[in-house]
Amino acid sequence: MSRLAQSAFVPAVRREARPAGSDSPDEICPVCKSSRYLNPNLRFLVNPECYHKMCASCVDRIFSHGPAQCPIAGCTRTLRKPRFREQTFEDLKVEREVDIRRKVAAVFNRREDEFEDTRAYNDYLNDVEDITFNLINGIDLEDTERKFADYERAHADEIKENAELESQEQSSYRVLQKKEREQIRLRREAARREEEEDKRLVEENRREQLRRLAAGQDASVVEKDGQQVQLKRRMDRRAAEERQRQLHARDAPPTPVTNGATPFIKGLKQRKGKEAEPPVDAFDGIRYKHQYYSLQDDYTYSFLDNAKKDARILAGGYNVHEYNERALADAFAGLGVFIADEVTERAKLSHDIEVPTEMAATEAQDVKMEDPV
Amino acid sequence: MGLVSPALDVPPEAERPNKRAKLEPLTEDTSQDTSRAVSPAPGGARHLDLAERLDAEERAKYVKGAKLGSGQYADVYSAHLKTDPSQLVAIKKIKVGAEFEQWGVSLDSIREIKFLQELDHPNIIKLYSVFSTKNQNLNLVLEQLPQGDLLKLIQDTADISYTPADIKAWMLMLSRAVHFCHVNHILHRDIKPNNLLIAANGEIKLADFGLARYMADPYEPMTYNTITIWYRPPEMFFQSKFYSGKVDVWSCGAVFAELIARDVMFRAIPDTEINMINLICEKVGTPTEDNWPGVSKLPTYTVPSPPTPLKSADHWRAMFPSVGPTGVDLLMKMLSLDPRKRLSAQEVLEHDYWTAEPRPSRLEDLPRKGGGLEAMGEELTKMGGELPGNGKPTASRGRADGVARKLDFAAMAK
Ligand SMILES: Nc1ncnc2c1ncn2[C@@H]1O[C@H](COP(=O)(O)OP(=O)(O)OP(=O)(O)O)[C@@H](O)[C@H]1O
Ligand SMILES: [Mg+2]
Ligand SMILES: [Zn+2]
Ligand SMILES: [Zn+2]
Repeated sequence: MSRLAQSAFVPAVRREARPAGSDSPDEICPVCKSSRYLNPNLRFLVNPECYHKMCASCVDRIFSHGPAQCPIAGCTRTLRKPRFREQTFEDLKVEREVDIRRKVAAVFNRREDEFEDTRAYNDYLNDVEDITFNLINGIDLEDTERKFADYERAHADEIKENAELESQEQSSYRVLQKKEREQIRLRREAARREEEEDKRLVEENRREQLRRLAAGQDASVVEKDGQQVQLKRRMDRRAAEERQRQLHARDAPPTPVTNGATPFIKGLKQRKGKEAEPPVDAFDGIRYKHQYYSLQDDYTYSFLDNAKKDARILAGGYNVHEYNERALADAFAGLGVFIADEVTERAKLSHDIEVPTEMAATEAQDVKMEDPV
Repeated sequence: MGLVSPALDVPPEAERPNKRAKLEPLTEDTSQDTSRAVSPAPGGARHLDLAERLDAEERAKYVKGAKLGSGQYADVYSAHLKTDPSQLVAIKKIKVGAEFEQWGVSLDSIREIKFLQELDHPNIIKLYSVFSTKNQNLNLVLEQLPQGDLLKLIQDTADISYTPADIKAWMLMLSRAVHFCHVNHILHRDIKPNNLLIAANGEIKLADFGLARYMADPYEPMTYNTITIWYRPPEMFFQSKFYSGKVDVWSCGAVFAELIARDVMFRAIPDTEINMINLICEKVGTPTEDNWPGVSKLPTYTVPSPPTPLKSADHWRAMFPSVGPTGVDLLMKMLSLDPRKRLSAQEVLEHDYWTAEPRPSRLEDLPRKGGGLEAMGEELTKMGGELPGNGKPTASRGRADGVARKLDFAAMAK
């Protein structure tokens, strides 16, 4: 519910929040005259047929054997027991208005993305508000109710579809999101604590080592022991965590139901189910393969001889094999270019922003960005 | 002395002294345009040549907004497409400096443009276009990455906590980006947390290609004076001019360690080469002919004595417990002293760490700066509400924007 709904429409004081024990008229059942003062358990119910209030035991007594006329003097409505409910709002007028709004909203449940633009959507909201206003205030009641019923009949399928979408969004999206946020928060919190604990252990261990060194023990032994101690502590903790995890696995939240193939209206985010995640591919599906040549392990070429054995070159990590690969890539780069394709491709591009995407080797050699040494 | 760009202590190199030295920006309205002194045509309309016209056209497509940040050699501004204000970009305006005087252009920006043009990868920042303004200031139109950089997350220990799964997700994105560079024969040479920008969806983007270069041909020397000093591999401290993609892998390893410990792994203070070598010896082990054959032949090989033996796997595990044994194994192999034993970017991606538990976090689950309030705002816009108290027009353009309040009676608790 939006904040606005709270502040503008919903009265701040709810029934439960009211101090009990006053003797005001709404504390007395108009039918049997029981008063909340004498009977603190007295519950009042209303029926949206006429919104006349009476106590729960009167409802039981009068309507348990089937529909009956409202017992309030002058009211001729026929009421059914199942429709009685507790009053949500202090003011019965508000109670009734909310009911009407709920009913209207259930039928006029078009979604913003069904409209061409914001303007059209706003117009629609305005029309709906007119209808609502008429229903609440009894203006052109017959006409409005007929229009309402016509609309409901004409758009039954869409209404149902939108209602489903809405409830899916409500449950799968909002709830799920909240749950996930909470889980992420917990995980972060745990990670932070673990981080602190690790820091503490490292520090403690360091101090212990220093103490032993100061006490004149052999440095290499001390260091080795230190690592052992640290590792052991961690292992202990890991084991404890693992036990915890297994304990909790039992009451893990059920995996969310995914939305399957529901035809979604555009613009809605669909949440992916957790199991649907494919295994991690570090290469992200990209495989770099030479198309036009295969690379040999070695090439006999006197120019390269020195680079293959000079320690000053090798020890820095320079790799002749990589050079061979690069040289071949450069040499064959042109083969992958089909000018006719490029021309058609270029013609298709709208030239708004030119995003150059050529790969390196194809035109690499024109300006060589050498380091000046 | 704070974070110093590697370039500041570059010894004068033949044609390019003071690479990336602090540069003074020329202000936009400085009108003396010596290089292209074209007298204004009658009526004020200036005659433009073709290149100038194309520049002007490109520039006219964007509306420049607030400054997003500034670095050693550039200021970065937010901007949007004139035709579609929802299309945000970042315009990186290269400062004009001494290098410009000599070359007519900043070489770093040429590198950046050249390499970014060639690289199209989800974890590498995108360059959309380039134009110059009347002072011949170069402007790079980049994708806008509004969530700051990885350094900010690492340092915000008070408000941001993250899990081993988050670290794995970030490292995986970084490793893919680096692998992609190397497959395209490009060395980045400035990998560090503040060059890893974060996109709105949480993706990591490798940025700042101002120090990148192609891998060298045999015998072609490369500069050893590059990569921000804390992230620089040992072979460069020994002034090797012949190296490989493994230099970037070392930087990635240092970033990995920093993500775990939330502290720079090799933070020598003051950050001199000597202190860095000593620190690496202390934390990893001393490079010797035993563990790194040939190292003593490198130009400036000197190490403190007595040598520290290589740290054991147990030691590494005790230092970096949270990523588990496979994570530590990967870290050790990325921070291997001998570049030939160090994993290549390809081998990094082949490591078991990525497929081991836990799974890398999904993008939407990654922590981000200011996550709390923003996340709440997002939730509220979705429901058609308002952000409490926050009167300023936020950038949140959720679906309820501009829509008359629709109260959700149908969903109200019955
Ligand atoms: N695409 C972008 N979107 C949003 N902010 C950006 C973007 N690019 C850069 N910035 C901001 O501008 C700052 C400077 O950018 P960048 O690192 O590219 O410049 P630089 O001159 O190379 O800096 P340095 O050499 O000091 O690292 C960054 O720290 C970041 O805050
Ligand atoms: Mg930078
Ligand atoms: Zn009664
Ligand atoms: Zn009645």
